[in-house]
Amino acid sequence: MSAIRDNWRIVLLVLLLVASAVVLFVPGATAGGGANETEAPTGANVSADERDSGWTNLQYGIQLDGGSRIRAPIVGNTTENVNITSFNESDSLETTLAQRFEIDRLDVEVTPNEQNEPDSGTVEVYSRNVTQAELLTALQDEGYDVSESDVRNGVTQSTRDEMVSVIDEKLQVSALTGADVREARTPTGENYIVIEATGRDIGELRQILDERGIVRQYVLYQAQNGSVVREEVLTQEDFDDIGSVRQDQAGRYSVGVTLSDSAAGPFMQAMQTHGYTQGTRCGVDTTSSTPPEEQLSAGDRCLLTTLNEEPVFAAGVEPGLASSFRDDTFVNDPSMSMTAPDRDRARNLELSLKVGAPLPAPLDFAEAQTTSLQPSLGDQYKTNSVITGLIAVIAVSGAVYTRYRDPRVAAPMVVTALSEVVILLGFVSLVQFPIDLSHIAGFIAVIGTGVDDLIIIADEILQEKGVATGRVFQNRFRKAFWVIGAAAATTIIAMSPLMVLSLGDLTGFAIVTIVGVLIGVLVTRPAYGDILRHLVLSEDER
Amino acid sequence: MREVDYTEYSNRQLAAVPLAVLALAILILVGWSLFVTGAPTDPGAPVTPGIDFTGGTELRVESDMTQQEVEASFDQTVISVQGVVGSGDTYVVRLQSSDVQSIRQQAQAADMNVLSSASTAPSFGAGAQQTAVIGLVVAFTGMSLLVFGLFRTFVPSLAVVVSAFSDIIIPLAVMNFIGIKLSLGTVAALLMLIGYSVDSDILLNNHVLRRSGGFYESVYRAMETGITMTLTSIAAMSVMAVVATIFNIDLMADIGIVLVIGLTADLMNTYLLNLSLLRWYKYEGVAR
Repeated sequence: MSAIRDNWRIVLLVLLLVASAVVLFVPGATAGGGANETEAPTGANVSADERDSGWTNLQYGIQLDGGSRIRAPIVGNTTENVNITSFNESDSLETTLAQRFEIDRLDVEVTPNEQNEPDSGTVEVYSRNVTQAELLTALQDEGYDVSESDVRNGVTQSTRDEMVSVIDEKLQVSALTGADVREARTPTGENYIVIEATGRDIGELRQILDERGIVRQYVLYQAQNGSVVREEVLTQEDFDDIGSVRQDQAGRYSVGVTLSDSAAGPFMQAMQTHGYTQGTRCGVDTTSSTPPEEQLSAGDRCLLTTLNEEPVFAAGVEPGLASSFRDDTFVNDPSMSMTAPDRDRARNLELSLKVGAPLPAPLDFAEAQTTSLQPSLGDQYKTNSVITGLIAVIAVSGAVYTRYRDPRVAAPMVVTALSEVVILLGFVSLVQFPIDLSHIAGFIAVIGTGVDDLIIIADEILQEKGVATGRVFQNRFRKAFWVIGAAAATTIIAMSPLMVLSLGDLTGFAIVTIVGVLIGVLVTRPAYGDILRHLVLSEDER
Repeated sequence: MREVDYTEYSNRQLAAVPLAVLALAILILVGWSLFVTGAPTDPGAPVTPGIDFTGGTELRVESDMTQQEVEASFDQTVISVQGVVGSGDTYVVRLQSSDVQSIRQQAQAADMNVLSSASTAPSFGAGAQQTAVIGLVVAFTGMSLLVFGLFRTFVPSLAVVVSAFSDIIIPLAVMNFIGIKLSLGTVAALLMLIGYSVDSDILLNNHVLRRSGGFYESVYRAMETGITMTLTSIAAMSVMAVVATIFNIDLMADIGIVLVIGLTADLMNTYLLNLSLLRWYKYEGVAR
């Protein structure tokens, strides 16, 4: 028992090493364990998770696994402290502003004043074409008491939260495994959205994010007086169940949809009002560049579906569906299918419908930062950076050996420094922290500071006067530890700004260095002291 | 190391060399800002900022074309095309524009295989630059406060802080000459220097101020340990710099090079500048 108590530092080190080995190598030992798996959509052309996690439980970032990352701000301006008292008022203000700026109503968000509600009394406009000054003038013209200081660039917190959740949903529905979205803020107060997808091309990621995913369905026909009637009858919130893209015998791609119970009734009534109660005809070709309104001929009664305001599907109502509108039976089985001209647009339609909500605001790609790396280059970096690390360890060992000329002192030093890295790897594996190049640089830095401290311990303990007793050893060890603690504290202080400041890849580097220094100071470096004691003290002197 | 006989030199003589080097480094940085990155009327950055801070795009492509042909494949202004050491058909292309989508399309249209791309919008880069400066200032201030807190005496603490300051300024000046631009990697290296370089100074101060024994005995003991430490770190970092350069891992190579320069500067600053201030404090400062 006393042997364990006397050597508790070494025992702790060994325990942590074993635990790290378990976390690193035993499959399923980590917290993540497959939580990243997303439901693969049926019919999607994306094969199952292609990523090979290898023989460890380590997670790799895009620099080592390949993949893409986009950091982009959200387009928009916000006016605060606008006194809007009711939802009716906010509704009509949205309409007024959308008309005034000639933008979609989705691009205007008015939140009325409410007690204790975040972001209340705000007016947001998500358009590059509306300046802060124009927004201010418009609100003043409407009689609101707002000044220049109330208008700022950017959007509200609730819009940012919604952006994150909608993008997250989009990524999941599109089967981008290993994709992640979060919000970040610069110390200068700018907010942006960070989207990361491991193993994916940046083009794929952009394609998903470029699209707002706004799906609408309109009735489109010529009224008796010859004017064109175009009225919205469905939006994507009205759908309940979305099928996958199918190809019918005629080669057309279509998506089967079911309306929600609350939407089915009003939709059926609208169909009755607009006279879609017989099978209708529609001569509109959505692949043509002529707007659907101009293609309309006198007898046409079309249902027009748009995706991001671009027509994707226009067709008449088949007799069977029309009769279900006529005899009120549609509500019993409110399903129909939507056709798209090609597979890509059918997929986008399916995706947008499945996400359910459009992106509240567009992302500003002109102000973005992007990174993309092919998996093959990532693999190359993976191997090469490990080799670099190993050679650095050999260099350190050589330097230490040259100084002490005693493998009994030098060998434990190198082993201890390496065990720091193993424990650190165990830690990042446990928290499923994705490793990138900057972290490997951090590991090498940890070896560097670690060996520095071990040299301090060795020099202090192996003084020429010799260590006669355990008490002298304790005393010297404590002295060495003062320097080590002070040095560790400066490293942690120097690195801590990087943990808080959003400086891209450097956050991970700082975390690895700080955690490494802590592991070193608290566990491994004291253990090395104990190892040295065994070397220099004879059995009875300890 | 015991060959160095400090008693032969006055404090002034010892401090002269590192202070002259520091002054020269500052002069280079000021000159760089006035004449290279900016103009006397409109000073620029003391170190040429890279794409991380100015905005732009960096591509790594595989192509059978020559360097000139690669350069001619883009509509946008090409800053540089570099062949990658050891793999003849890989190039690193840097462009001023941050429109990565159009740049990638052009590269693919010219039959290049785009291995990686990184783009930063100018406004984003400007924000990052501001952030990096804030980070460096906060880290340095934090370190200084900690050092003053540890030693609670003015001159020895100041000696550490001045040495650390010089340890950062000298690599910055050298970066200008060997053509390393300021990147996120080099900022990380500078921050690491703040933490790394004060280790030997703390060790020296600790031995001289907090231990019994004569000044020179303490100094030599601290030097023996401290120089081993710094040389070991230099060995690790120079190997990392060389190997990462061969493997074309720019981030690690930059970190390695900056640390090697900084740690070398630290050897000089610790055992000439810090030591002379410490000796002055021990023999003259305390007596007053």
